[in-house]
Amino acid sequence: MAKTFDVVVVGTGPGGYVSAIRCAQLGLSVATVEDDRPGGVCLNWGCIPTKALLRNAEVLHLVESAERFGIKVDNVRADYAEAVKRSRGVADRMAKGVEFLFRKNKITLFPGTGTLKSRTTVEVAGAGGAETLEAGHAVILATGSQPKSLPGVSIDEKLVISSTGAVRAETRPTSIVVIGAGAVGMEFADVYASYGTQVTVLEALPRVLPIEDEEVSTLLGRLFSRRGITLKTGVKVTAVKPGGPGATVETDSGRLEAEQVLMAVGRGARTAGIGLESLGIQLERGFVKVSPAMETSVKGVYAVGDMAGAPLLAHKAMAEGVVAAEAIAGRHPRPIDYGNVPSCTYCRPQVASLGLSEARAKENGREVTVGKFPFTASGKAVALGETDGFVKVVADKATGEILGVHIVGPEATEIIHEFAVGRTLEATLEEIMHTIHAHPTLSEAALEATLAALGQAIHI
Amino acid sequence: MAVTKVVMPRLSEQMETGKIIKWLKREGDRVQSGDILAEVETDKADVEMEAFGAGVLRKILMPAGSTAPVGSLIGVIAEPGEDISALDRPGGPEMASRPAAVPPQPRREDPAARTPAPAAGPDRPGVSATAPGPPQPARPAAPAAAPAAPAAGDAPGRVKASPLARKIAAQSGVDLRLLQGSGPGGRVVRRDVEAAATSAAAAPAAPRPAVAPGVEFEDRPLSQMRAVIAKRMPLAKAPVPHFYVTSEIAMDRVWALREELNGLEGQPKISINDFVVRACALALLDHPGVNAAFQGESIRVFHRAHIGIAVALEEGLITPVLRDADAKSLARIAVEARDLAERARARKLRAPEMSGATFSISNLGMFDVAEFSAIINPPEGAILAVGSVRTVPVVTEAGLGVGRRMMLTISCDHRVMDGAMGARFLQDVKRRLEEPLRLLV
Repeated sequence: MAKTFDVVVVGTGPGGYVSAIRCAQLGLSVATVEDDRPGGVCLNWGCIPTKALLRNAEVLHLVESAERFGIKVDNVRADYAEAVKRSRGVADRMAKGVEFLFRKNKITLFPGTGTLKSRTTVEVAGAGGAETLEAGHAVILATGSQPKSLPGVSIDEKLVISSTGAVRAETRPTSIVVIGAGAVGMEFADVYASYGTQVTVLEALPRVLPIEDEEVSTLLGRLFSRRGITLKTGVKVTAVKPGGPGATVETDSGRLEAEQVLMAVGRGARTAGIGLESLGIQLERGFVKVSPAMETSVKGVYAVGDMAGAPLLAHKAMAEGVVAAEAIAGRHPRPIDYGNVPSCTYCRPQVASLGLSEARAKENGREVTVGKFPFTASGKAVALGETDGFVKVVADKATGEILGVHIVGPEATEIIHEFAVGRTLEATLEEIMHTIHAHPTLSEAALEATLAALGQAIHI
Repeated sequence: MAVTKVVMPRLSEQMETGKIIKWLKREGDRVQSGDILAEVETDKADVEMEAFGAGVLRKILMPAGSTAPVGSLIGVIAEPGEDISALDRPGGPEMASRPAAVPPQPRREDPAARTPAPAAGPDRPGVSATAPGPPQPARPAAPAAAPAAPAAGDAPGRVKASPLARKIAAQSGVDLRLLQGSGPGGRVVRRDVEAAATSAAAAPAAPRPAVAPGVEFEDRPLSQMRAVIAKRMPLAKAPVPHFYVTSEIAMDRVWALREELNGLEGQPKISINDFVVRACALALLDHPGVNAAFQGESIRVFHRAHIGIAVALEEGLITPVLRDADAKSLARIAVEARDLAERARARKLRAPEMSGATFSISNLGMFDVAEFSAIINPPEGAILAVGSVRTVPVVTEAGLGVGRRMMLTISCDHRVMDGAMGARFLQDVKRRLEEPLRLLV
């Protein structure tokens, strides 16, 4: 006997659970289907547990460098297994938070794998048997993504691990080769290196964090190298085989050996086995094709989050979840401005960016003005003892439109948002300039970089 | 007492309300007499408003973006500690007190400044309404009676637009007031301005903001300029008995002369209209009956030829005045006319440059117009409508040939002159254009 809800949401990661809650808030009855734990990869295996590990790495670094502050600490012992335990605890707590929110919003959770049988029918294959869910209004697909690998290399989560394997493992290797210098690769390189693992990062493109502004990559590369992390860019991996201390990595410029290999070359949409083909739901470059209201090519079926295309970021998925819910509820949501999604990497120092890099802005034919302010000139950063990095603002010369912002440094991922708000409001450099920033704060660097773009920086 | 009331000044003859674009001084700023307090948009141009008293700008009563009737209280200048509690509301007419702000002053001895305003008595200089002077309690003009507060609501108020949209609009010449904002709460955002700028570039004659499908019409608020035109034109046409005289001018020699002049290096480029301006200016001095204005009890005959040249703008038209055109060479006329037209389009004309014409010329030649007739701009007595120079078959003594011809139509105020006077003037203009060397000597 089929159970009927207004909306059936398949997947409860950031895209799925947010759309479910928003639907419920708008008065719709909602069922969710989850084959793992509520919260998806983000809460359980991605964003949140890695942030916990990175915090451990940061605390360890602080303790190890405590002498800079005149604090002597002897016999520092860092237990990696404890770090992972803490990380799991954090993830558990957040996943429970999602379960609580579901109860609060009267959302029914069906554990199991959901498959679309028709535009309105989702079949759930769970441990406790099968259920058939009927959607009166709409189905929202939010099945997320999974780690990709290189051709001919399979992720066994032993020798070759993915971020999911890395975040679970209570032991760390003594040496590791990280393939891919994107956000995931750089964050795990940070964690492992902080705990003493010999880390080598390989990147096929010419620089680390290749989607960031070139100055960001250059600085971060230098800072990582200074910490003893080996970075090799412009390197193509041809094969990964067992051998040596564990694995042998063949590249176009030589052979590397390490106990483990972390595959961090990106993620691909989870689109297989959920019934997309039989309904004729169109894909585009591996992702589900959606309208600005997040509707797929089949009426009444929506898709949000990683499966619906780049950027594969939790905050973008949440925003899409809200748009889909409001569209289903008959509101007319404002489409997402994909040019204004912050991109954040939580390594030490943090990296955050928004909009266009300087090079891309120029490629687009814009005449730009660039303002840069180093944290070495920020009183707050000096007091914190965290002076690596800068804020860089790229603006249109004629109008002062903020085209891109690139931050490396302490709390970069928090500072970025004043520019995100500014861009949403279509503020120009002048409005940032006329906003008084509290002293002393790291955010003053945002003001100073803005002033620098106007040729009026005070503190540099 | 050192309290100085800041009132909305009369910055042009027709001005009844002014919109404060922005205050250049803030509350609490110390100001000297003569400091620029604010920029004001009038029906014709954006004008700087000066302070007429010294002290501290204690109160701004009408914020930037709001519209106030001429003469109404918009701010207070006083020393700190001075009691201004009686003046803390935007006020009605303050004409009885000394105005605190004056516009850029025309030279008082300039007779042009003495062109009477339409509604004014015969002896009142047209722009002196804004000059410090004796109280004028008997002003009949409407704004004096208009309540101040609703007036701000009547006129197009503050436009909701993002900072970026404002900047792009300013740079691309898009009028934000004509746009339908697509942002939250109807806010005009970047895409609205860019769409308008793009469609304006594609069809320069009429900017077309993006229109939602299925919308059959929209009601656009009148711009300041459009509102003035709408109000004044019936007064210009109906009470003024117009008659029209048309003549065809052989332009072959002007054409050839112009080509030759424009071939000279280092000389300003001269347009056909510059020839017409010069020919009219010279002819006006010989036909003072046409260079005249109806005054009710008398006819004022001008001894100088100040030519108003109509310049089309997107939102209307404006007629800057080329003064003493009879005393200026063709090259000088060309340079000044171009400068006036460019600044008219940028709305950067100063108030005296928009008043005091004794005769006007409207030229639609660039639109391939054979001929048309224009509406007189009171108190002027006549206006000349200029068509295109067209290549047409002409009959000469030698037979059928090809010639360049242009139609001129003069509209005349019958209260001032009769048909024969208009015809004789036109004949004189024709002679000067057909023998254009007369325009050079």
